[in-house]
Amino acid sequence: MFLNKRYNVYALFLVGLFIYIISFLFDLQVLSRDTALSDIDNQTLDTFYITPPRGDILDINSERLATSTMEPHLFLNLRKINDENLEFYEQFIKYNFPELDEDDLVTLFLDRSKIQIIENISDFSATERQKLLELDAFEIFDFPIRIYNYDNLTSHVIGYVGRPTSDDFQEFPHTKQTLQVGKNGLEKYYEDTLTGTPGEITFRGSDIIEYIPPTKGQNINISLNIDTQRVVKESLLQGIELANENEDTLDEVIRSASIVLDVNTGEIVSMVSIPDFDPNQFIDGISNQEYEKLNRIQAFNNFAIQGLYPPGSVFKVVSYWLAENEGLFPEGLNSRRGRIDCEGSLSFGFDDGSQQVYQDWKEDGHGRVNLSSAMQQSCNVYFWDIALKIWRTYEGTENESILQDYARNLGFGELTNIDLPFERNGIIPDREVFDEWTITRPDLVRPEGWLGGDLMNLIIGQGAITVTPIQVANAYKTLLTSTSSSPYLNIAVSDNLKLKKYNISNELVTFLKDDLNLVTNKNGTAYAAFEVMGRKANDIGGKTGTAQNPGEKNNSSWFVGIDSVKNPNHVIVTVVEEGGSGSAIAAPISRRIIQHLIGSDLTPVKYGEITE
Amino acid sequence: MNNRQITLLGPQGTNLFIFLIFLIFIFISWFTLYTLTEFEGLEFDVNNILTRQVVFSVASVIVFFLLTYLSIENLQNYSNILFFLAFSALTVLLTTQPRLGVRRWFDLGPIDIQPSEFAKVIIVVFIANYLSKNFNKVLLIFLILGIVLTILFQPDLGTALIISFVFLSMLLLSDLKIRYFLLIILISLFLFFLFLELGSRFDNVNIVTQYQIDRINEFFSTDLDFSQAQSRLLISSGGLFGQYFSTENIQKVFVPVETTDFIFAAFAYNFGFFGILFLLGLWGLLISRLRRILIVSNSDFDKFVIAGFISLLLFQIFVNISTVVGIIPVTGLPFPLLSLGGSSMVSIAIIFGITNRIFIENNITI
Repeated sequence: MFLNKRYNVYALFLVGLFIYIISFLFDLQVLSRDTALSDIDNQTLDTFYITPPRGDILDINSERLATSTMEPHLFLNLRKINDENLEFYEQFIKYNFPELDEDDLVTLFLDRSKIQIIENISDFSATERQKLLELDAFEIFDFPIRIYNYDNLTSHVIGYVGRPTSDDFQEFPHTKQTLQVGKNGLEKYYEDTLTGTPGEITFRGSDIIEYIPPTKGQNINISLNIDTQRVVKESLLQGIELANENEDTLDEVIRSASIVLDVNTGEIVSMVSIPDFDPNQFIDGISNQEYEKLNRIQAFNNFAIQGLYPPGSVFKVVSYWLAENEGLFPEGLNSRRGRIDCEGSLSFGFDDGSQQVYQDWKEDGHGRVNLSSAMQQSCNVYFWDIALKIWRTYEGTENESILQDYARNLGFGELTNIDLPFERNGIIPDREVFDEWTITRPDLVRPEGWLGGDLMNLIIGQGAITVTPIQVANAYKTLLTSTSSSPYLNIAVSDNLKLKKYNISNELVTFLKDDLNLVTNKNGTAYAAFEVMGRKANDIGGKTGTAQNPGEKNNSSWFVGIDSVKNPNHVIVTVVEEGGSGSAIAAPISRRIIQHLIGSDLTPVKYGEITE
Repeated sequence: MNNRQITLLGPQGTNLFIFLIFLIFIFISWFTLYTLTEFEGLEFDVNNILTRQVVFSVASVIVFFLLTYLSIENLQNYSNILFFLAFSALTVLLTTQPRLGVRRWFDLGPIDIQPSEFAKVIIVVFIANYLSKNFNKVLLIFLILGIVLTILFQPDLGTALIISFVFLSMLLLSDLKIRYFLLIILISLFLFFLFLELGSRFDNVNIVTQYQIDRINEFFSTDLDFSQAQSRLLISSGGLFGQYFSTENIQKVFVPVETTDFIFAAFAYNFGFFGILFLLGLWGLLISRLRRILIVSNSDFDKFVIAGFISLLLFQIFVNISTVVGIIPVTGLPFPLLSLGGSSMVSIAIIFGITNRIFIENNITI
């Protein structure tokens, strides 16, 4: 039996329960809401991060190239700033830190949930610091300062650090906390190693309840020798000055690069790119004007790994190797000893009956030349003959690109994978590349596509080919040691280098060294540049290169040097953009570097002979 | 009666008011869960909470309509069998492997069935039938005590409590003399404390777990459970009008199971005090509507079923909110038609479906 009367009483009981619940909720949501909100803030632990000091970068003699010091900085705890004390702190900071301009002050007070860095206070006395700390919202924490001890001398190798952008956040997620990232050079490449663990400031509400200081990143030891680096830079600057005195030069010569590569290990002993910049400028904040100025002259480019130039005659080692290895000598010859008659030009007929004349750089010709003397005197005719031989033997077959294959085998057209960012790979042109360009970049190629003339250009390092100085250095290293590997700066990577063995006979290596030796000695193209070394030049070797630039521009000056023929230790590659003849500018620069490497007295860079 | 025409609003005769309010509750649940997906919304993924709830909702609406075809007479006739089945299922459940320390669900792959959710409904129907036929009330007390014990051993203190409350409410509404009713209350309280005492004495007998003892001890302590303190903060920051478009504070506090048992905290945060008034107002509206049956119907079974459902729903809401704001210890009960969960949704759909049928049989269509 259901009793409706009792239900009415029961319903009242239920209504009472819910009135209680609703009043309870009203208290929570309306009456005591503010307490709850501040409780939430107080129980919420917010963490802010302090940039950690980065690891040092040390050269081969443990010379500190880049280091970080911790210096006391004043921080403003904005959670302690309220509408009452805002004006006081504004005035106080304005008065005591006059270096801060109006914009800085506005951004300083923008986000009231944060802690903001104000200034380096390392030159404040202890009492002054104590006074600052008496103010509630001020905190003092150590903050790292990056110092590059050798300024411009290491700018491209070491790079510099800066504030991370959104791209950096993607590439290196930890930079969201460290708020510092390597932007270039080793600083970028080894970001993960060099960056440390950020310090942590933990807030509960507006109070700092915990501070964990940052820990320093790992040091890296690099193969660079700062003394060699200094000599290399001096020599380059002398060479540039010399080149600018030359009346052939239309544009001012400003760009050049030089690399000293240890042939036995692949270590970079020196790498200089000019123009350069002072990475310390980025620490205090570089002005836009200054940055733009440096950017306009491409000072941030490391031409040693990013500069793309036609190699000119230094590329002849590729066909030198090919000729020996494949037995492909000029028509009618079957060995390196066979000679052709170089009359200063080469004329030959095409299938359609037309005649083509190629002019050597030496109008009178080099006389009777074989492979050795062709290298020694950089005779183009001899190498053109090889190109013709290749063309006539292989045109249209799958071996048509045999020269390009040899070049790629030596690492041209591909990254050397040196441990530096932004390396470029250049191009080794062949029929495929030209066919592609016919569609994508018709301005670069003739509509006929790849022709024998292009191969003849390529064999002497001219035309569409571009290479970087580091590729040239590494290619010579490969030929001299029959082993290729990536060049590197960080000594730690030497343990897991990928070595690739080449089938290059000892005989060929000996021939090559002897012929390179001829270049720097009597009758060689670089003789004038090395004459000053006297008998010591007997053990030196090298190859000059003079690469034509399009238009009115002067040629780019190349030289590849070896510090010892008997026992090669270093390959020195120097390129001076629009510097003119290789033997005139790049060779004497390299000579001065070699003098340093073998411990001779340094003699100034002097203008050499004009050859190719 | 069973060959009614199917219309847009379900089988002909469906009570529009009940059906609409049922749908409104479901939509509110979707909205609340949507804010908890961090505004990602629907995704075709069985782990997406909104997707799950939408699927459960569709199932619930189907169940609601299917129950329109079950006549109250048949329901009354089957009530004993249903009770027996529920009792058996709950007993079998005790033999399964415990999960998270409790035996509360039958594991059926992607979904789990919580039989106690359905048992609640069946028990109401069973008691209604029993009381309307004036059977021996002492036997009834022992039957209910038995089934409550199986739930208590899961252990599921919340559901056991709700069933006890509902049973006592229905007894109160029957013609049982008030002095006997008070006696039963006294005995229940005595048994409750005896149970606790035995549990703490014979710890190794495992009648009650230490977990439950702790929970009950908390009942009498003024300290707030951490999750309750957190949910209380979350509710507070909702304010008068709610924080629907701000997820700021929701990330600063840690509310466990905020899609299920603690969903009321998220609701209160999102929709504020007025939102709560609206939600509870809707329930009040529904309950006041159900009261018509108590006046109009001639069948005691109808009245007991409706009264049982009213107390079941309201007690569950009351206990749930009390848990979330920390008035009573954490009991683990879902909020009807708001919490994420298939068993809960479907069991409430059964309640609405049976209610709908009762309205149809009493010719109340709106």
